[in-house]
This record gives sequence, structure tokens and C-alpha cells, in this order.
Amino acid sequence: MSEEYDNNKTSYQAQSSEVLGGASGTTPSDMDYVRPAEIPEQELYHAHSFIEKWVFCQDAKVIGVQYFLTAVFTGVVGLILSWLMRLQLGFPGLAGFMTAEHYYQFVTMHGMIMVVYFLTALFLGGFGNYLIPLMVGARDMVFPYVNMLSFWMFFVAVAVLMASFFVPGGPTGSGWTLYPPQAILEGTPGSGAGILLMLISLSLFVIGFTMGGLNYLITVLQARTRGMTLMRLPLTIWGIFTATVLAMLAFPALLVSSIMMTLDKVLGTSFFMPTIIKAGEVLEYGGGSPILFQHLFWFFGHPEVYIVALPAFGIVSDLISVHARKNIFGYRMMVWAIVGIGALSFFVWAHHMYVSGMNPWFGFFFATTTLIIAVPTAMKVYNWILTLWRGNIRINTVMLWCLGFIVTFVNGGITGIFLGNVSVDVPLSDTYFVVAHFHMVMGIAPLMVIMGAIYHWFPLVAGRMLDEKLGKWHFWATFLGAYSIYFPMHYLGFIGVPRRYFEMYDSPYMTSGVGLNEFISLAAFLVGAAQFILIYNIIKTLKTGKPAGKNPWQANSLEWFTSTVPPEHGNFGDRLPVVHRWAYDYSVPGAKEDFIPQTTPPSEVANTEVEKT
Amino acid sequence: MSNFIKKLFGTLTEKSWERERAAIDDAHEGKTFDLSVQTSAVIIILGIATALFSLIFTGYIYSIPPEQDTRYLLKPNFLWLNTLILFCVTFFFSKVNKDLEKKITKNIKKNILIVGGLSYLFLFGQIIFWTLLMKSGNFVSTNSYFSSFYIFTALHGLHLLGGLFFWGKVSSRVLKLRNEKILEEEKNISALSLYWTYLLIVWLAFFLMIYIFNDAFIDWCKTLIS
Repeated sequence: MSEEYDNNKTSYQAQSSEVLGGASGTTPSDMDYVRPAEIPEQELYHAHSFIEKWVFCQDAKVIGVQYFLTAVFTGVVGLILSWLMRLQLGFPGLAGFMTAEHYYQFVTMHGMIMVVYFLTALFLGGFGNYLIPLMVGARDMVFPYVNMLSFWMFFVAVAVLMASFFVPGGPTGSGWTLYPPQAILEGTPGSGAGILLMLISLSLFVIGFTMGGLNYLITVLQARTRGMTLMRLPLTIWGIFTATVLAMLAFPALLVSSIMMTLDKVLGTSFFMPTIIKAGEVLEYGGGSPILFQHLFWFFGHPEVYIVALPAFGIVSDLISVHARKNIFGYRMMVWAIVGIGALSFFVWAHHMYVSGMNPWFGFFFATTTLIIAVPTAMKVYNWILTLWRGNIRINTVMLWCLGFIVTFVNGGITGIFLGNVSVDVPLSDTYFVVAHFHMVMGIAPLMVIMGAIYHWFPLVAGRMLDEKLGKWHFWATFLGAYSIYFPMHYLGFIGVPRRYFEMYDSPYMTSGVGLNEFISLAAFLVGAAQFILIYNIIKTLKTGKPAGKNPWQANSLEWFTSTVPPEHGNFGDRLPVVHRWAYDYSVPGAKEDFIPQTTPPSEVANTEVEKT
Repeated sequence: MSNFIKKLFGTLTEKSWERERAAIDDAHEGKTFDLSVQTSAVIIILGIATALFSLIFTGYIYSIPPEQDTRYLLKPNFLWLNTLILFCVTFFFSKVNKDLEKKITKNIKKNILIVGGLSYLFLFGQIIFWTLLMKSGNFVSTNSYFSSFYIFTALHGLHLLGGLFFWGKVSSRVLKLRNEKILEEEKNISALSLYWTYLLIVWLAFFLMIYIFNDAFIDWCKTLIS
């Protein structure tokens, strides 16, 4: 490539002056080089009607917002379910309608909704669609029509899932892991239409996601703008990209297990069904293995943790860098860590199965890999802290969410090291310690990144700044509330309180936990209610918020350099941007301002010296 | 492959913030691989399909009942015939590819039609085989061996139908073109050809698994994962 550059430098410079002239108003010097466009301009389908523009839209940004709103709707449903569960646990009998069956159904639906339909859809479908084309400098995804189908498949999946609330027997109550054989046998809540609708919905979700994921991967790999090398990509894109690769390899396991379990239920196959004797009668099933389902489920389920976490890692890296006015510490190490965590995540799944009766040697192997994955994860934490170190930190709402994330992720990660060891995990298995751990590490921590990202990118999406004061109230209520829920919950787990119990006050060892359970429930109501501060803030801002203008955070990445704010269809006006640097040139010595956008050619900042990292 | 790994590690060690590196990076066109988006899409789909079929194979190995005659499915010769048909499909697709490379367009339309016809014949053969199996009392719920066979062939059939959908779109465009214009569809035809080659590979993997695996081997596999 460089050889080609040397040979053709003169002719390229002639063309580069044409491209850059309008932007800088200066004559590019010898150091400015712009490659002539070789990738043909993408032909965009422009909407001709309201329905084409806002319903069956092919613009990735609209699709991103559609994904976002649908995911938030499912998240609100999940939140209400968690309130009902906490109501039962903290104040048994207060919700008169709540039976044990209802409780299990709420637990199941809450888990599946939050993990798959809320967090995954929001990070990859929402942020992925909105940010990928903008941050890589593309006009849209490479297959916009398929991208639109992806959202509508997701929408149908959500509709099918929600329909299970209204069928005889209600939704499945088999736990979010849907373990057979009990998930499809009579006696389990929702073992009729409920479980079938869940399995169909999951299959639709996977098919829909595959269509979207195909777009994300090819857009990132093959449709970047000129000058945008892989190692100039913002870490947000690295996180979303790697998470998509993970999803593409892990979701087939969910699809296969859903199909097989559907066949077990409908056609009487026995993929996961052993010989079962019920009330003295041998059922028709036999020869299958429930452990096989567990392997398949967790082969999906563990990478799923990173499908949620990696985009969060990427996004928070960018937010910290922008709001600390400092280049990201160890960019390459951050990329390696994202890729490394992604690869290792396929070798740790059976740490969810230490008590399943699998071969004990497996436990030894998976405990080792689980502890190894802590190494790149810890590297990321160090790098976030070192990015903050001696930065010009703006303590605004976005930064508060980022700091909240780091603390919460470290907390959740440390308890993960406890649970990764077989000998510690066995006594803690199926207690509230596990519930507290995974809520901290993959519930609250990614949620904090989502909130930070909303406050950061809302000015781009809506053109107005969210209210900072309300944002800070929102943060502190959520942060303190979340810790009020999950710190005591760890303690409950330590004293042996089991998860998945509808009511347990008759147990003698629970007497010391009664007060705590009430406290946790009250905190959960508070944290849930606090989220409505954000909804109020958004509505208020849309009506009367301060206009954001272009690039209100003085960031470097391409999404802030669109032709209009909010960006129009096609993103960048007549000409695509040309990239000359990475996205992290903040507080560069010698520069006039404390940020140098990715589109700034070298000649405009000739006397600067970027810090080594 | 070694070049790919070298390139990957080379890329991941770039220091994009350094001035010397920036001069090189500015010359980057924005594409990672020299592939069309169609071929890129097919490669990714094949990656997903590999994960899917690998898991089904694993489930199959894990679930075969000890008393099952693992060669039962190969005895009626029907799967041998269908394997031969898939080989023929790949052969005709390779002819199409060679013609495209040499820019000889006169036989391309005919060969693409043969590919589609043979693929439908394969599907038809699969349905007949299913019917025969059911007539002999071996249903999807008979035992895990047949359950796995039915689910694999059903998913493979769906995979093929997906390919035939795109074959229909591409071939309808190709048939409307004059011979000398067919080269405009080269990227789509190459992507389809890759897809069909993969279908054969997956089929052969399954076929070999049925052929090679005996009970002793399966027992050994089970001890590893149970």
C-alpha cells in the first residue's frame, strides 16, 4: 500500500485538494494524502411515504431507534415483572393474585426478556444500527432491506413472546434457562402453549438477529470510508463487531436447542428427554439427555454475557476518553482484550454446570479457563482507570455513569472469581449470591453504560441536550438503589437463602434475612421508579431542551461530523468523510483545541505531538 | 491461511496514532478483504451454518442409542445416490466458474439451469427417502438416531431451499441477459457457487459420520462429554 502511495503521490495530492479544499480552506501540504475513492457510492433507497420512512424504513438510524424503542418496551415489561417478584419476596401475600405459578412465570419472563430481548437487542440492534454506519463513515448498512427485515423479525419475536402472557396456562415458568425435561412436562407452569411460544419467539429472534448481524459485520469489514483502517476504529465499533461475531457463532446453539425442544414437545422426539416415570407410569420419552440441552444452552448462554458486555466495554471506553479529554490508554491492548475475551468466552460455558453431574474433569478445565478470562478483563479496567488518570475530567452525567460502571463491573467481576472456582461455587450454587453476582456484572453494569450512552448520544439523535440536573438525580437514585439491592443480596446468598423459592419464611435460617428482603424490595421499587426520571427528561428535552448544535461534547469520531444534526439519510451529505487519524486525539500538546477530529488532515495540526500509548 | 493469520496479527499490532503509520493508513481504501459484499455475506452465512451443523453433529454423536445399527441409513443406497447428485451439482457449478474465469459465456445459462434442476432432484430424493423411512416404521420420534437424521436433513434441505431462492433470483436475471452481458452477474454467481460447494461439504461430513462412526467410537466420544 505504501509503495503504491509513493508512486502515485502527486496525482493523489491533486485529487486530495479537491476533497479537502472545502473543509479546511487551506492548501493541503505534502503530508495530506487522500486515496481516490475505489468503493462505489452506495445507492440508497429513499422513502416515498410515511410508512416507508417510519415503519418499513431502510435507514439504519431509524431501524436503530425502532430496535431501541422495542427493546425498551420489553425492558419496561421486565422491570414490572421484577417489581412483582420483589413484592412477593419482600411482602409475601401483599399481592393477593400472586400464586407460586405466577411467580415462576414472572421469574422466567423477566430473565429471558432482560438478557435477550432487552440488553442484546438494545446494544446490537439499537446502538449497532445507529452507530456503525456513522462511526465507520458509511452512508448506510450494506444490505438495508435485509436490515429492515431484521428489525421486523425481532418485532414479531417480541409479539410472539408477549402473546404467551395471554394463552391458556400463561407463559412458561421453567426458569430462564428452560431446562428440560421439566420445561415441557405437565406440572410446570406454561408447559403447553407458553413454552412453545417462547421457543418460537427465540427462533425468530435468532433468525432476525442473523440478518442484522450480517449487515454489521460486512459494513464494518468492507464498507468503511477512506483512511478508516481497522485500528483507527473507535472501540465502540470493536465492541459491537466482536459481540456480533460471538452472537453469530453462539446463537445457532440457541436455535438448535429451541428447535430440538420444540420437536420434543410437539412430535414426541427425545433429544433432551430421558426415560421418565410419572406416577408409576413410564412416559413415551426415553434415551435423550437433559445435560445435552444444558451444554447447548450454555454454549449460547455464556458468550451471551459477552455479547452484552463487549459493546458496553467499547462504548464506555469512548465515553471515558471523550469526557476525560484524554486518549484511551492502551488502545491496542483494549482491542486485543476485546478480541481475546470474545475468543475465550467460548471455552468457559460449563462453569454454569458445576452441579449438573457432568464429568468432574470438565469442572477443572472450565474453572481454569474462567479464571484466565479475568486477565484481559482486568486489563480493560486498568486501562479505563489509566485513561482517567490525570485527565481533564468533566464530572457530568455521562462521566458519572461511566464511573458507576467501572465500580459496579469490578464488584460483579470479583464475585465472578468466587463462583468460577468449583469448590466455592458448589455451596453457593442456586443461592442469592449467584443472583446478586450476575445482576451486578451483566445487569446493572451494562445498564449504566446504556444510560451513559443515552446521555452522550441523545444530542446527536434528537438535536437537543438532556437536562444535566435530572440526569444526576437519575444516576444517584439508580446507583445507590442498585447497591442497596445487590450488596445485601450477596449476604443473603452467603447465609444460604436459595433462589427460585416462592416463599421461604418458614425456614429457620431465614429469620435474619426477613428484614433484608423487605429492604431489598423497597430499594428495587425505588430503582425501577428512578428510570422514569429519564423518560420524563427525554419528553421534557424533546419539547423544550437546549439545542445541541454540532458536536456538543467536542468529540473526534465521525458520527459528530454529519451534514446535519440529527443526521439525514445518507449521513454525510455530498461527500463521505476522509479519515486521517484515530478517534482519540484529545489534549494533544501543540494543538489549538483539546480535540482533533478524525477528519483533520495532518497539515492542519502540523506542530502537534501525539502521546505514546 | 498463514497469510491471513499474519495479516490479522499485523493489523492488530498497528500503532495508528504514530505519524509514520498515519501516512500508510491514509492510503487505505476502507475495505478489509478483496471480496465482493455478496461473497462476504455468503462466507459469514456459511460460518453460522458451520456452527449450527457442528452442534447438530455433536448432538447426534451424543444421542445415538447403544442398540442402534449405525449403518442402517446407508443400506437402501438412497443416500449414496443423493450424494452423487450433490457432487454433480458442484461439478456443474465449477464448470460455470471456470467459464466465468475464461469469460466463455455460451454454456453458462445451461449449466446454471442444470444446477437448479439437480438441486430440486436432490430435494425430491430426500422426500422420497423420508417416505420410505416412515413406511419402514422409522419416524422422527422412533429414537434419537432417527430424530437426528430427520432434523439434520430438514435443516440441510432448508439451507438448500434458501440457496435455491437466491438461485432463482440470480438465474432469472442471467436468463434475461445476452450471453456477453452475463459477466455482469459474476459476483452473484461466484457467491452462489461457494454456497453450493459448502452444501456438499456439510453433506459429506454428515455422510462420512454415518459411514465411519461405529459404536466403539461413539462410546469413546460419550465418555468425553458425559
